[in-house]
This record gives sequence, C-alpha cells and structure tokens, in this order.
Amino acid sequence: MLLLMQGLFWLIAGISAAPFVLGGEVFMAALSVATMLLALATLLVGIGVLWRRRRARGLAVALEVVCLFGSAVLLLLPIGFNGGPVSLMVNVALPIAVIILLRKSEAEAFS
Amino acid sequence: MFDIAPDHAVGLYAGLLALPFAVLALKFRHAAASRVPGTVLGASVLMATSGAIHLGLVWTHLEEGVTAVLFVLNGIAYLALSQLFTWRWWRPASAALIAGTLLGYLVYIVLGFDGPDQVAIATKLIELLALALVLVPVRGETSRRKLRWRTLGVAIPVLTVMTVAVVWIDALARPDERHAHAGALLQATNEVATPGQEAAAQKLYNDTSSAIAPYRDWRKAWADGYRPGGSQTMPSTHWMNQRYVDAGYVLDPRHPQGLVYANTKHGPQLLGAMFQMKRIGEFGPDPGGPVTAWHQHENICCTPLGFEFSLMTPTATCPLGAIAITTPAMLHVWIVDNPSGRFAVDFDEKLVRKIDQA
Repeated sequence: MLLLMQGLFWLIAGISAAPFVLGGEVFMAALSVATMLLALATLLVGIGVLWRRRRARGLAVALEVVCLFGSAVLLLLPIGFNGGPVSLMVNVALPIAVIILLRKSEAEAFS
Repeated sequence: MFDIAPDHAVGLYAGLLALPFAVLALKFRHAAASRVPGTVLGASVLMATSGAIHLGLVWTHLEEGVTAVLFVLNGIAYLALSQLFTWRWWRPASAALIAGTLLGYLVYIVLGFDGPDQVAIATKLIELLALALVLVPVRGETSRRKLRWRTLGVAIPVLTVMTVAVVWIDALARPDERHAHAGALLQATNEVATPGQEAAAQKLYNDTSSAIAPYRDWRKAWADGYRPGGSQTMPSTHWMNQRYVDAGYVLDPRHPQGLVYANTKHGPQLLGAMFQMKRIGEFGPDPGGPVTAWHQHENICCTPLGFEFSLMTPTATCPLGAIAITTPAMLHVWIVDNPSGRFAVDFDEKLVRKIDQA
C-alpha cells in the first residue's frame, strides 16, 4: 500500500510537470516522462512484493534506500528544501516504513 | 499550503502525542490484536492518530460552531473505530468514515471554509493510507476478496488524485495575501506606501534603469559576466552574474545580480534587473515599503539541466531529477512598461510577444 501511495505521488509529480513543458521547458519533458515511468515501476514493484517475489522486495528496498539517501542530502544541504510534516512523511517516514516492513519476515510483512 | 496554520498546529501535536498511545493500546489488547492481520492494526493506529488530530483542532475552532461539532464527532468516531477492529462491520464502517471525512474536507476547501495547510494535508495522507489498509484483503481471507481489490484499486488512486488536485487548485487559485503567485512569498511590509517610500522607490528605479542602460546591448552584459540561465526558447531569460552573486552586493543598482531579457527574433531585449540576496531566508532592505517588497520562490522543483522549474506538489514531491529548493530573496526592477508594476514579481509575457512583434 505504501508503494502504491508512493507511485501515485510520483505520478502526480510527473503530470504536474506537463504544463511547464507546454510553456517551453524542454528538459522538463524528459523528467516528466521519467517520473511517470518511475511511478509505473513503483506500482509494478508493489505488485511484485504482493506476489512475494524476492527480486521485487530487493528492488523496493533499493529504491527506498536511494530515496532516503536523496532526501537526507537535500535536507542537509542549505538549499531551502521543504522540511514540513508532509515532506518528512512522504520523503523520510514512508521510505523508512517500507524498508522496515520489507525487512521483516514474509509471514509478518503487511501485504 | 506549505505552512502550518497557527490554529492547526495543536492538531499536529495531538496527533504526534496520540501515536505512541495508539501503539500502546494495541499492546494492552494483545489478545484481540493477535487475532487480526497487521494491516488492520496499522489502520487502527492511523485512525487513532487522525482522531486525535481532529479532537485537538476542536479548541482552536470553538468559534466556528459547526466545524467544532464536526471535529468532535469525527474524532470520537475515529477513536472508537480504531479500537473496534474485531467488530464484524469494522471494515465497511471504517471505509465509510474515512471516505466521508476525505470528501467532507474537500467540500470544505471548495466552499472556502478552510484553506489547505501542512496539518490538513498530512492528516489526509494518514487517512488515505488508513483507507488502503482497511480495504486491502489479507492472506487467508476468502469472502469478497475480488470486490475489495477492485474497490481498493479504484478508490485509493481516485481519492488521492482528487485530494491533491483540490488542495493544489485551491492553493493556486486563492493564495494568501503574502503569496504573489505560485511559490512566491512576498516580504512582509506596511500596507500602503508612505510618500517617503514612494520617493525612495522612484530613486531606486531611476538609479537602476540608468545603471543598466548599457546592458540593452546584450554583448556588454556578456562582457561583464552575465550569462543566460537555461533555455532561450522561453519568452524571457534571467542572465545571472555569478561574480556579483558571490560578492553579496545588496540592492546596489550598479551591480544587479541578474538581468532579464526577452527572447525576441531580434535577439535578447532588456526588460529589467534583478537584485538577489546571498542567503536563503533573508529579505533585503525595502526602501519603498510595499512598492519594493522582495520575494522568494519557495518549494520550486529546479532541474539541474538549465534554469527550468516546476512546482512541488502538495505531497512534497518533485519530478525525478528535479531538486526542491527555495531561492534567495529577489527584487525585480522592470525598465519597460510592465502592467503589473515596475517592481512586480512577474513580467507579463504578453508584453514580451508584443516586443517581439514590434
């Protein structure tokens, strides 16, 4: 469920870049498509986890570790990255929750 | 949208405080908790948290009678259902309560009774996750399994997209008085400029327009170290002088950190100057009061590939590869006739097209 939510958040981010592409931002087009593909991949990984595919679990953990590392770097850099409750929930708590839940034994893990 | 409303902060504290108690409640009810799957326990904790947030908000909404009553009823219902997870009708009752609460909030937003803030968005995300955990079928369950998957597959994406869209559209359509446009936070000033401030603004305008006059020839700007940031297929481009940025000049008309050029078929045409502070979160001196208020762009998603940006979503997400940043405070001085004003945050792009056709 967490991966489904995360996939939806990325899908929305990908779609939200589209108006800027129409405004002439050419590089944003590539990022928009890449983000929507990432959203799709996250949903597929979520389905894989649901079907108890070992590879999907590994991919999900790897994805969340990368997300968590990226968020930590952005939070530590003095660039004014948003540190509000929603940002912390989505960019920090969610990846941590997925990692913890996937590290549990299969019998214990949430669907 | 990215702020915490003062009257909502107490809800956040109530939710954070309730979280360990919700987990402890499940520990005390070990016998009952051990009979239900983890998804149900997760939903129970999330619903208890959401209930506590709603109850916490009652105290700061006592003057809004209907809202306060709804918060009380909602909070009690959430707390009750968070503990009734062994009840036969727990799933439909919980799903109905969460969906009703989500839709009710969106109606409130659309009607303008409330504005979205971080506490509200965080609560809606908690509720969406709780709904997903309520609906998800668990291993071993056989009854209505397909129906639940279908409901989950439709309800969660639809409600998530709907919630984010309504919150975002409302924040963009009804920004508060300090948000000039999406993502631009204005410096706090007095409301109406005094004659002294008007004169100071006029002096800043005169000094700046004469100081940057040589840069009407973009080659002179290039020779002095200004470089275009990003694509020149856009109506206008900011040319930045990194030397002046690093030097930290503050509102110095002879050393503006940026120049703004319209990208016309005749080449770059100077529109104005941009002063920029060195550090994020510091507004510059404001000689003209409300006329020359600085602004900073908050929560914008900046691409590393040139000066392109989009806006951070209400769920604090950016497109892949874009970095969410807040810019240092800036002040524009437009030397061409900008309908929004000589020191406005934005430049009317229709005017750029007009310049292009001239």
